[in-house]
Amino acid sequence: MGGYGDVQLLRDDGLRLDGRKIDEMRPVAIEAGVLPAADGSAMVTHGLNVAVAAVYGPMEAHPRKIQRQDRAVIDVRYNMAPFSTSDRIRPGYNRRSREISKVTAEALESVVLVERYPRSKIRVEIEILAAEAGTRCVGITAAAVALADAGIPMRDLIVGVASGKVEDTVVLDLDKAEDNYGQADLPVGILPNTGEIAFLQMDGDLSPEEFNLAMEYNFKAAGEIHEIMVDALKRRYEGGEN
Amino acid sequence: MVELVPTLLRQELARLAEDDLRLDGRGRWEGRAVSLETDCLYNAEGSAKVVMGDTIVYAGVKFELRTPWPDRPSQGSLMCGAELRPVAHRKYEPGPPSPQSIELGRVVDRGIRESGCIDMESLCIVPGEKVWGVMIDIHVLSDGGNIFDACGLAAIAALRTAVVPAERFDVGEDYTLKVNGTPIMASFTRVGGRYVYDASEEEELGGDERIHITIGDEGHLHSLQKGLRGVFTPAEFAEIFEVAAQLCGELRTLVANQEGN
Repeated sequence: MGGYGDVQLLRDDGLRLDGRKIDEMRPVAIEAGVLPAADGSAMVTHGLNVAVAAVYGPMEAHPRKIQRQDRAVIDVRYNMAPFSTSDRIRPGYNRRSREISKVTAEALESVVLVERYPRSKIRVEIEILAAEAGTRCVGITAAAVALADAGIPMRDLIVGVASGKVEDTVVLDLDKAEDNYGQADLPVGILPNTGEIAFLQMDGDLSPEEFNLAMEYNFKAAGEIHEIMVDALKRRYEGGEN
Repeated sequence: MVELVPTLLRQELARLAEDDLRLDGRGRWEGRAVSLETDCLYNAEGSAKVVMGDTIVYAGVKFELRTPWPDRPSQGSLMCGAELRPVAHRKYEPGPPSPQSIELGRVVDRGIRESGCIDMESLCIVPGEKVWGVMIDIHVLSDGGNIFDACGLAAIAALRTAVVPAERFDVGEDYTLKVNGTPIMASFTRVGGRYVYDASEEEELGGDERIHITIGDEGHLHSLQKGLRGVFTPAEFAEIFEVAAQLCGELRTLVANQEGN
């Protein structure tokens, strides 16, 4: 969190700089099955964020030392394209993308029925083509739709959403300015049908009350995004599998 | 180890070639449908998406301020790189850039650079001190065959829509990058013993060497590359060069039409 506090992020009429209400998320659009080479794929546009996820597998897990005798391992790579941010990113893995990949993999391993595929590997590739705050959440949503598109059984469709705090006010779904200059960010991965949480990070400063409100906003938004995810999958398979 | 599928596939491709047929029913010099979309990536100063059959490629242009090379104090720089990330196909592994991705980026780079479509002097802000570095990054999202042509097309189309972000760097007002020309690549793969244009994934799997030809607006060659194992005759080259000139013209029209919209 930047937390400079000298940038006005809420307008005098109580709306945010982009005109959203404090509990309003950016527009979300999802398309399933966008990459012909992949076993499953999805593209999620969330505000100005664009994330594409591809799923390959289940396949043989190698090197052998990563194999688990009782379940599949999920190998996630979250990557930002060099042109996805205002300053070009040098291609290659960095500490940030490694950490996000790790916790995302653990979140997905919590929802995929991994015990059905012992000794195998499921590869999930998340590519961020355009970034405007909240890419890890958009990546999780894309990965969930791609996994479903690949026909991999899951307990639920995990949804990535974030709330945060700007000018001492809890707001849903931070945009770039709010992320840079706000006071807190709470990205989570929610299972809307079970009400469980499989992904959790936070940074900044939140009181217990603010945390509860931010979580309430996140659950509300997760329900809305979940409908869009289901709709994308239905559209993909209308008239049978192709 | 003999790979069983390619062996059977090679036999099938050779059989089809006898009747001058292709697996997907195309003619020898017939490309797959191409769709081109530009200005499609927020945060990129120029961008393009190309879909050629099952191949999907994005290109994004970024600018940075840098100090010029000492021997060329009044020239900016251009760099084009490609990433074959594991998202694009199950055959691609994570790790440092592979020889294939380096070849791909460099072949596209040469075609654009050598066509002279970017005047390096025009990228100079203060001689000896400050010049623009132009970076074209190509991201292959789905490899359905002939990624070279898709990458070449995406790169030049993205470059042609690029806006120099001078305001953000505090060196004047934003302006559209001047690009003098549209170099276009056409690639040919030996399949079933003879060359075909725009090979599909299966044709590449069961095919041999490939030749990449980049042609500028005036019909001149700007980059050539032979990749993979195999040999060809001057007569074979003459034939595909003639075909390439025509195909590149068609794709150049596609880029122009996209810009006209």
